[in-house]
Amino acid sequence: MSRFSTAVVLLASVAWLGCGKPEQPTKAVQAVGKADLKQVASKGTIGFSALTLTNPFFQVIADQMKAEAAKSGYDLLVVSAERDVKQQADQVNEFIVKGVSAIVLNPCDSQSIGPAIAKANAAGIPVFTNDIKYDGDQGKVVCHIATENYQGGKLAGEAMVKLLGGTGGKIAILHFPQTESCQLRVKGFLEIVNAHNAKSAGDQIDVVSTLDGGGARDEGFKAAKDAIEAHPDLAAIFAINDPSALGARAALETVAKEGQVKIIGFDGQLIGKQAIRDGKILCDPIQFPDRIGRVTVEQILKHFNGDEVPAEILIPSELYYKEDADRDPELKQ
Amino acid sequence: MAKTLTQTLNSTKPPTRLLDNPFIRDYGMVFVLLLLGGLFSLLTLKDQHPTGEDAGRQVADSIIARSGPQARVLIVTRDTAEDLLFSAAAAKQLERVGVKVLASVNGTATDARQAIEGILAQSGEIDAIAANDVTSKWTVYDRYSSVGSAKCVVPASYTWPDFLKVSNLLGVANQTAIYALIAIGMTMVIITGGIDLSVGSLVALSSVTAAILIRDVAGGPQASAPAVILAGVAGIGCCALAGAFNGFMVTAFQIPPFIVSLGMMMMASGLSFRLSAGRSIPELPNSFFWLGRGVTLGIPHPILLMILLYAIAHVVMSRTVFGRYVYAIGGNPEAARLSGVPVKRILLLVYTLCGALAGLGGIVLTSQLSAGDPKFGLMYELEVIAAVVVGGTSLMGGRGKVFGTLIGAFIIAVIKNGMNLTDVDPFNQKIVLGAVLMVAVLLDTLKRRGTHV
Repeated sequence: MSRFSTAVVLLASVAWLGCGKPEQPTKAVQAVGKADLKQVASKGTIGFSALTLTNPFFQVIADQMKAEAAKSGYDLLVVSAERDVKQQADQVNEFIVKGVSAIVLNPCDSQSIGPAIAKANAAGIPVFTNDIKYDGDQGKVVCHIATENYQGGKLAGEAMVKLLGGTGGKIAILHFPQTESCQLRVKGFLEIVNAHNAKSAGDQIDVVSTLDGGGARDEGFKAAKDAIEAHPDLAAIFAINDPSALGARAALETVAKEGQVKIIGFDGQLIGKQAIRDGKILCDPIQFPDRIGRVTVEQILKHFNGDEVPAEILIPSELYYKEDADRDPELKQ
Repeated sequence: MAKTLTQTLNSTKPPTRLLDNPFIRDYGMVFVLLLLGGLFSLLTLKDQHPTGEDAGRQVADSIIARSGPQARVLIVTRDTAEDLLFSAAAAKQLERVGVKVLASVNGTATDARQAIEGILAQSGEIDAIAANDVTSKWTVYDRYSSVGSAKCVVPASYTWPDFLKVSNLLGVANQTAIYALIAIGMTMVIITGGIDLSVGSLVALSSVTAAILIRDVAGGPQASAPAVILAGVAGIGCCALAGAFNGFMVTAFQIPPFIVSLGMMMMASGLSFRLSAGRSIPELPNSFFWLGRGVTLGIPHPILLMILLYAIAHVVMSRTVFGRYVYAIGGNPEAARLSGVPVKRILLLVYTLCGALAGLGGIVLTSQLSAGDPKFGLMYELEVIAAVVVGGTSLMGGRGKVFGTLIGAFIIAVIKNGMNLTDVDPFNQKIVLGAVLMVAVLLDTLKRRGTHV
C-alpha cells in the first residue's frame, strides 16, 4: 500500500461517482467551429441550492422542480447547503462557473447570502428564492415563492379556537424562533387566539409556555416533556412543524397523556399526514412543496419568455384533518 | 529525541517501500492534488461560450457575411460588464459597414420583448439577432412568428474544462482560505498531541463579537476604518482568550483537550447565539468588506492572507525554537519536560494561537459574507481536522507539516469542487469525503508501522 496506490483508489472512486450519472449531452453542437445560425437544443441548466435535503420538504420541492423543468427542456442541478451559508455561497460560485441559466436558493441566512446573490447578478444569472426569503439589499432576487406562513398560522389558531373555544384551557407552543417562517406562523396563531380571548369571558385559551422545539423530533420530544411536567393539565400543543409535533406526541405517550393533550402541527409532510390519519395529530395547516417547486419553475420560464414576474408569490395554506387524510390518495399507496 | 534516532536509523536502510522514499513521503500529497486536478479537468471538459469584445466582432462579421450590408440587426445581451463590451463591439463593427442596428438591448428577456414589440410596431423587420449563448436561449423570440430564435447568431464556442477556468480556481482557493487559516492553529495543536473542537464555535463568536461592536459602539455602516480594525481585533482577542482558557484547563488540570474544547465549543456557540439573539447582524460598513472581498492584482485578499500566514507558520514551525518545542511535546511530553522544554507555557501558547486563528477566520468569513452570524462555523472543526489529517499530520502528535495541511485543505476542496462540477449527488459526496479521510488515517498508520516496526 502506498500513497500512489491510494491516490489511484481515490481517483477511481471519484471517477466512478462522477460517471454514475450520464454525462450531460453536449449542447449546441451546431455552434462548434464557427459562428452559425443558432439551433435550439437543450435550453440550459437551472441550479438549485436547497437548505438541506435531509428534510423531505425540500426533496419534494427539488423533485417537482426537476420534473417541471424537464418538460420545458431544462436540466435541474440540485445541491444541498446543509444550512451552512458559506457552503451555499460556494455553491452559487460553482453555478456561475458552470454557466447555469438561473439559480434557485433556499437562503441559509436571510442576510449573509447577499454577496453570493450579488455575484450571480453581476454574472447576469437571474436568482429566484423559495421557502425562505432574502431580506438584504445587496443583490436582486427576481421572484420569491413561499407558503403564506402568516395565513397558515392563523388557520392553526382557528383550529385551536375550534378545539378549545367552548371550554378554554392551557396550551403550549413548540417554536423554532430562528426562522422567519416560524415566527410568522406563531404570530398568526397568537393573533387568532388573542382575538378569541379578548371577546370571551370564561373560556380563555391560555398560552402557558413557549419553548424551542428545534423544528426536530428529538428537540420537540424534550420540550414537550418539560411542558407537560410543568403543566400537567395542559390541553393542547401547537408545534410549528411535523417533526416537532411528532416528537411532542412521543413525549405525551411516555406519560400516557396522549388522550388529554391534542396536537396541532404544521407542514403536511407525509409523516404528518399519516399521523393525522392515525389520530396522533389533530390537524395541520398544510403547505404545498410540490406547488412551490412547480410555480418556481413557471416563473423562471416566464422570465426567459420576457414576461413580467411578480416579486413575490405566496401559496395559501389549507387545514387538513383526519377526514382529509382518509380520502387523500397520497396515503392510499 | 527517540524519534530522531529511529529516523536516522531508518534513513540508512535503502528505501524498499514506496512510502519510505523521502521524496514520496514529502511530496506525495502534492502529486495526489495534481492528479485530482488533471482528473477533474478531463471530466469537466465542455463547450465554453465566449462573450466580450472579440465575440461581439466575430458575430458582427458573421452577420455581415451572411445577410450583407442591408441587414437589419437587433443586438440582445444582458447588463453584465462582459456583455456590454460584446454589445458595443458588435454595434461598432456592424455600423462601420453600414449595417442598421435597430436596437441594442442590455438587460432581461422582458427588455428584449419590449424592444422587439417596439420594432414590430413601427412595421420594422429583423433579419438577424446578435446574441450570446445565454440570450439566444431565451424563449422570447419565438413569441413573434416573424422573429424566431433561428435568427440568433452566436459566437463560436471552444472547449475548455470548467475546472480550469481562472474564476473557478480562484473560487476554490478563496473558499479554502478560511478552513486553511484555522487549520494552521489546528495543525500545531494536533502536533502537540491535542485537539481543539471549539474552533467552529469560535468562528461564530468572533464574527458576532466584531459585528456587534461595530453596530453598537462604532456606529454601524458609518463606522470609521480604525474602529472597524479595533472591532476585528477585539473579535480575534475574544477567541484568543477562549483558546488560552482551553490551554489553561489542559495544562493546569490535565483535563483531556477533547473534553475541554468540547465544553468550549458549546459555551462559545451558546454565547454567540445569546449575544446576537440568534439573528445575523448586517449593519457593517463597506470598509469592513476589504478583507474578505477585496482584490489585489487579481487575487482575492483571503488567498493572499492565507499565503502570508502559511509562509510565516512554515518558518515558525521549521526554523524556530518554538517550533521545535511543539514537535518535542508531541513526540514525548515527559522527555520534552525533562530536557527543559517549558511544556505548559508552549501548550498554552499553542491553544491561544489556535483560538486566535479561528477568530481571524471568523472575521474573514464575516467580511466575505457581509454579516455577523452565530450560525457561522457549523462543523468547521471537523472540516479543519480533516484537512490536517489528510495533510499527513499524525493525530498521535509529534509529526506533521504546516505545508502538508495546506495541501490537505486543497485536496478536500478540489474533490468537493470537482464533484459539484461533475454533478455528483450530494449524498454520494459525503461518502467520498468520508472515505478520503479514512484513507488518510490509514496512510498515517501504515507510515508509522513502516518506520517504527
